[in-house]
Amino acid sequence: MDFEFIIEEFPGIWEGVPVTIGLFAWSLLYGTLGGLVLALMRLSRFQPLRALSAGITWVGRGIPPLIILFITFFVFPELGLTLERFPTAVLGLSLWTAVYQGEVIRSGIIGVDQGQWEAAEALGMSGRHYMRRIILPQGFRIMIPPYFGNAMTLLKQTSIASIVTITEITLLAQRVISFKFVSLEPLLTIAFIYLVLNTILQFAQMGFERTFRLRV
Amino acid sequence: MDWGLIADIFPLLMEATQLTLQLFAGGLVVSTLVGLLIALMRQSRFRPLRWFAAVYIWFFRAMPTLVIIFLAFFVVARDWLTFLSPLQAAILGLGAGAGAYKAEIIRSGILSVDPGQWEASEALGMTPAHRMRRIILPQAVRVMIPPYLSNTVLVLQATSLATAIGLVELTGLSRQLSNSTFKPIEVMLTAAVIYLVMSSAIVLAQMYLERRLVLKV
Repeated sequence: MDFEFIIEEFPGIWEGVPVTIGLFAWSLLYGTLGGLVLALMRLSRFQPLRALSAGITWVGRGIPPLIILFITFFVFPELGLTLERFPTAVLGLSLWTAVYQGEVIRSGIIGVDQGQWEAAEALGMSGRHYMRRIILPQGFRIMIPPYFGNAMTLLKQTSIASIVTITEITLLAQRVISFKFVSLEPLLTIAFIYLVLNTILQFAQMGFERTFRLRV
Repeated sequence: MDWGLIADIFPLLMEATQLTLQLFAGGLVVSTLVGLLIALMRQSRFRPLRWFAAVYIWFFRAMPTLVIIFLAFFVVARDWLTFLSPLQAAILGLGAGAGAYKAEIIRSGILSVDPGQWEASEALGMTPAHRMRRIILPQAVRVMIPPYLSNTVLVLQATSLATAIGLVELTGLSRQLSNSTFKPIEVMLTAAVIYLVMSSAIVLAQMYLERRLVLKV
């Protein structure tokens, strides 16, 4: 272990941290919105929407995220959708995570006890009112752990953007490996960064769980 | 859609799929062995072993699979175990990462068995090994199957990352063919369908096993 080397190379790799965080944050945002759409489609009364959502979910879970990235990078331009490299990577990661977050959101909504729906209806609440005041606050509590589980997986999967040459931390570490002929130090440096980011997410999860805790 | 091209590249992609399946099978075996070992260490009476297992699970669950594969390829195979081929290094990386998840799956399966079962088998004078094999594991396996097979789908998908260390498996070849034929739509969609078929086969196996292993009372 060459600590001097780590300190020397750290600033270079550090530059990739905002890129990694950017990939993660944008993909989580769009992935959550996409997941919400997929979940609402799946719960719709309209059969074709339900089937479409189920089909997208089946395909999205059945193919590797790297193939989804390759599709957004190589296939979408053929179909006329050309974006900058970074948004293209965000698009791919968002599509991938939306499929998983969709299932989380759906199970959160249907996980709320049936009696709650009936009671809210019996109290004469409007549809939007009981969704917002009764169902969602309870649904959130169910969604938090799996939602953060998926978010942590997404954080780790941002590393595959290095394969399509987005200069996030994994690619920067790989460059150090190929130019300086050392491998342990740069890999441990990014391992440390992933551990820190992951731990921050774990604390965020604990915070959310406390906020939505059941108070009886 | 150029169906003629798909017919031409399909045999090539199937050949690359064999390498994907080798990675998958290897990753599955290694991750199961690692998972079992770490799960047993986590249950051990010997504290350093428990700590080692806890740190192992914590570290590898926080690491991207790609980084683990790089560690296996650039560090373990290049500096330490130099006899490892790139394929073996990729399998090691896949197995070490997925093993951390499998350890948790196996452990929660073992913990889910009713404590009364442990006590009863102890009262019957069974040895610990005998008790584990005849009483605890058969009941634990039923709980483990759904998460174990979900993890298996993830191992299959993670094999695509071996392309980053130069193995030309299904994903790597589809990228090369996309570039050389200038027909990414046909190539990528064919590759996606091949992955979809393999993942769906695992999901069907999961459904079948869940039905078979339902407790008949």
